[in-house]
Parts: sequence; C-alpha cells; structure tokens
Amino acid sequence: MSAPLEVKAHPPLRDARIDDDVFADMRRENLARWPTGSGVDFEAALERQRSLPCHKQLAWVMRRAVEEKRCLTQPRGGFGTFALHKTLMQMLDRDGLADIVPTTTDSYTRNEQFHLAQKGIEESERLGRSLLNGYPLVNYGVEHARQLIDAIDKPAIMLTGTALPKLTGEIGFAGGYSGYLGSGIAYTTSYTKELSIEGGIRNYQYLDRLAAMYAEHGVELHRRQPGFLTGTNVPPCIAIMTCVLDALLAARQGVRNYGLEMGQTLHLVQDAAAVSACRELCQEYLCGLGHPDVFTSVTLLHWMGAWPQDDAQCAALVAYGGTLAAIAGAASVTTKSTHEAFGIPTPEANAEGLRITRMAIYLARNIRLDTMPEFRAEVDLIGREVRPVIDKVLEMGEGDVALGTVRAFEAGVLDIPWSPNRFVKSKVLPARDADGYLRIVDPGLMPFSREVMEIHEAKLRLRARRDKIAYGPDLAVASVYEISEPVATLLSDKWAEAVRA
Amino acid sequence: MTARTLVTGVIGSDTHIVGNRILAMALETAGYKVVSLGALTPAQEFIMAAVETAADAILVSSLYGQGELDCRGFRDLCIEAGLGDILLYVGGNLIVGKHPWPVVEKLFLDMGFDRAAPPGTRLETVLQWLERDFAARERGQRRAAE
Repeated sequence: MSAPLEVKAHPPLRDARIDDDVFADMRRENLARWPTGSGVDFEAALERQRSLPCHKQLAWVMRRAVEEKRCLTQPRGGFGTFALHKTLMQMLDRDGLADIVPTTTDSYTRNEQFHLAQKGIEESERLGRSLLNGYPLVNYGVEHARQLIDAIDKPAIMLTGTALPKLTGEIGFAGGYSGYLGSGIAYTTSYTKELSIEGGIRNYQYLDRLAAMYAEHGVELHRRQPGFLTGTNVPPCIAIMTCVLDALLAARQGVRNYGLEMGQTLHLVQDAAAVSACRELCQEYLCGLGHPDVFTSVTLLHWMGAWPQDDAQCAALVAYGGTLAAIAGAASVTTKSTHEAFGIPTPEANAEGLRITRMAIYLARNIRLDTMPEFRAEVDLIGREVRPVIDKVLEMGEGDVALGTVRAFEAGVLDIPWSPNRFVKSKVLPARDADGYLRIVDPGLMPFSREVMEIHEAKLRLRARRDKIAYGPDLAVASVYEISEPVATLLSDKWAEAVRA
Repeated sequence: MTARTLVTGVIGSDTHIVGNRILAMALETAGYKVVSLGALTPAQEFIMAAVETAADAILVSSLYGQGELDCRGFRDLCIEAGLGDILLYVGGNLIVGKHPWPVVEKLFLDMGFDRAAPPGTRLETVLQWLERDFAARERGQRRAAE
C-alpha cells in the first residue's frame, strides 16, 4: 500500500466538529486500509479502556501531576519487533522508573508504508537486532498492543512523529494506549515534505474527534501537541503559537484533556517563562473562543537539537534538562540519554537517562522563578510576540481556526524555522544570543512588532560581536551546532594571556 | 572548467533536513552546483536527479537509523541507470543503536559507497574529500587514498 498523502474528504476545510455520520464513514474507510484495522471494535475498545486502573490512564495521571505540581518523566523508545519492544517498555517502566511509558513508531509506519514496515520486522527478526527505528504498531495490531499495555504498570503514550495518525491511533487506543502525541499543524510542518497544512489538519481532526468520542462514552484520553516542531532552536513564541492553534482545533472536535510540549531552550529563565506563558496563552484563547473547560498540561523536552559526542557532556544535558523542567513547573519532561548523538539508545542507556533526570527533578523541587524580574520580562515579551500573530491568524480565517491557519502559512504570517514542508515558507531564522536565550535573527514575513524585533536584534548583535560572526543567517547556522561542540571549545580551560609565554 | 554538480538529500522516510540544508549551503559556497532534493527522498529520486543533471556525485544523508534498510542496493540502482562509477557518499546516524564506527563504515562501504561520514563530521572534511576524490578521478583512480 502506498502512502495516501492527501485525505479524500471533500467538504471545505472548517474547524467545526465532524458530524457523527460523516465520521462513521471516515472510520469505516480508514480501518479498511490495512488488515489489522478490522481488529478495532469500538465497544470492545471502550471495555478495554474502562478496565484499566486509573494509574494506567494518562488523562488521569496528567491531571494528578498538575494538581500535585509534579514533574513526571517520560522517555522515547521503540524497537522493530514485538519481543524487543516489550522488553524495552518493561525496562523503562521498572529500571527507568518512567512515569509514562512510550511507544515510538518506526518511520515507515509514520509514513503509512506498512509493506516496508513488514519487511523491516522480518529483517529485524532474521538478524536479531532492530533495523527499524520504532515499533510497527499497525502491522502488529490490536492484540499485540493489548499485551504491551498488560506488560507494564504505567500509562502508555503513542509517539508517532506523523501527520498520518489515523490507523495508528485507532489501533493503539483500542489496545489500551491512553495518550497520543501529535497534531495537525506541528507535525505536518515538521515531519512531512509534500503534505499540505490542510491535509495534516484534516488527519488530526479525525484523531481528535476519535479521542473525543471515547470521552463522550466516559473514557477520557490524553491528546498531546508536539510544539517542539523541528527541534532546531525553535523560540518559545513560535512553539506557543502552534500550541494555541492546535489546542483550539482539538477543542473544536471535543477534546478536553490536552498536553502542550516545547523543546527546552536550555536557558533556565526562558524555559520557565515559556512554560508559564504557554499555559496562560493557551487558556486565554481556549476560554476566549468558547472552551473554558479544557484541561491543559505543559511538558518540556530535553534538548532537541544536535547533541555532543561526549558522554559526559550528554549527561550534563540530561541532568540539566530535568532541573530546567522541574524549576519551570512543567508537568512532565521527555527525556533523552547519553547515546543521543549516535541515534537510538540501548534500553539500559535510556533507563539511565530517566534516572539521571529523576534525581535532578528531586533536587530541584519547589524552586520557582516567578518573582524574578528577568522571568517576568520574558513572559511579557512572549505574550507580545504571540498575541499579534494569533489575532492575525484568526482574522485571516474570519474566525475559523483551520482556515486561518492554512491562509497564514500561505502568507508566511505563520512560519516554522528549518521546516522540511514545502507549504511552509521557512524564512524565519532563530539564533542564540550572548546570554543563551533563543531569539529571532530574521522574522521572515511574520508580523512581529518593531519594538519586539528591536529587542531580539539588540541581544543577537551582542553575540555576533562576541563570537565574530556576521549578523544574519551565519548566526543562525552557528547556533544549530553550538550545543554539540566539544566543551573545550565552548568553555576553554586556557587563559588567553598564557599564549604570550 | 564548469562547476561540478552534486545531488544531495535525506533518504527514505527521514525528515531530518537541517544538517543537509547547511551542507548544501556550504557546498554552494564552495562553488559546486547543488541539486537539493530535501527530506523524505526515495533512493530512485536521487538517481533520477543525478541522471537528469549529469551529476558528478551523490551525497546521501540519513539521521534516523533506518539508513541501513534505505541504502541497500543504492549502488546497484546507480549501475542500472548507467551511473556505475558515480562518486557516492553517505553520512549521519546510519544504523539503529550505538556501534563502533568502523563496523558501520564497513557496512556502507560494502554497499558500494565511496565514503561514509560519522555523526559530527565537519563541513570542511566533506569539502576536502570531494576535492581530493575528484582530483583522484582525474588521475583515473576511484577515490583518493586516506
């Protein structure tokens, strides 16, 4: 089966709730696309979800985390065969003490190339190691998903890095997964090349409607938005714009339990401000547009850009990432490990990353920056960056969030740095300033005010001068690899004067 | 002499475009004509682009671990398309898991790639490889010695 990139739905794109009868047809058609789709029975799926204790339901767990001001841990992880993947999930649960256990799907599954995934399973079994970069959840089907959930004592989330979530979501929810990471705007702009923004929004309207349908039958599922986007120096304001819009689109379909994710900037004050601003701005727009009853939680992710080769430097990023998330007041942190520079970690390294993070969270408990002037200034700045753009998007859509989003990307009003998608201008360029904050060196066509851009430019010119880099795209490129540089380069142990001798 | 043409992109179902885009910028700055195919590019598209543009080399990026599956048979596809001798590089996080680099390198050299670049390879290194390999080819060698 080749990947059907464009969805077939013909009515014009709107943000309104999909009608029940239309949705029933969409589901029938969707589930018929691969043999394991026939394993999904909605009544049985509801029974399955109701049978899970609340500590294995992610919607309940996220509400508790926010109530108790906890910072939970969640890794990534997925292997190409059922046996390897089950062992991984158990190890992350028991040895890593993960609060949320993941299933990352492989990249063929993400692109709905299920025939290729099948070959990957066979090759992985033949060679006794995973050749796939995740678990082919659709190929294995509902019954295997159930067994994975039964093998752990935590809630499980699907991490699928895809703009094509419809079959994966159906099968995972039916098997007892209670969370799904992904959204129409964020993943389409970050993980696809040829899919239109409209196509991606439609696909996730399906998934959001599906999650809401479970809720209408008494089973609350956790939907989550990947605002980390391309993971490459995404400034908080751009992440939050997509959080607000994806949250609104989900709320329109009836979702009431929604997570918002951002990659760490690695600047403590900026990350804390981002978490606070994200929570406030999402609730502001949800309430303002008629959805006062949506629970939202904010998650930070360990550094998403290029990692250093050195294990010791990686360990610092992992530990500091736990510290940042805890002090920022994030409800959870998504972890990496010392193997990050080389790709997918062993289960042992992955579990170790979880424990390093957990210890850091413990040490950083109950520290808050709320009264710090720099923190307040940064929260204020993010608000001044986000509101004009969101208001423009809503204006362009004549009140319709979906339409406004599509038109805004066409116009470059919404833009994502380093996007692979050809429907995104990708003119906006971020860079790191002299103090370590992520700023915008070129706004592209995004409607930031002159006052806001003057702040960014002033800060970035200090960095350009200090490091003798031309102000402009070179500053953005230098910022892409900065964190992966050897620590001796970043922070030398030699005194400049010593050279004289 | 007219500028040499290089085809580059990210192979398979992989979206990691940033490094490849920066590489393309550096290659252009160095004077090469660069055909950038972007993320999520099937093997066949590299070869079609190389045929259409009479390219001198193909530089394949893969960051997501499934490069081993995606790159198998790449040289054979080149041979079928009449590009049997084209210079082939591959680079990135090429297979799942952390393995000693010589093991990974051998895997890809055995597939018919002329050079494989580990994670963290500098742009300057790639530029040097290209310069020396093209010079070696002028002398009738497959690629420059180490």
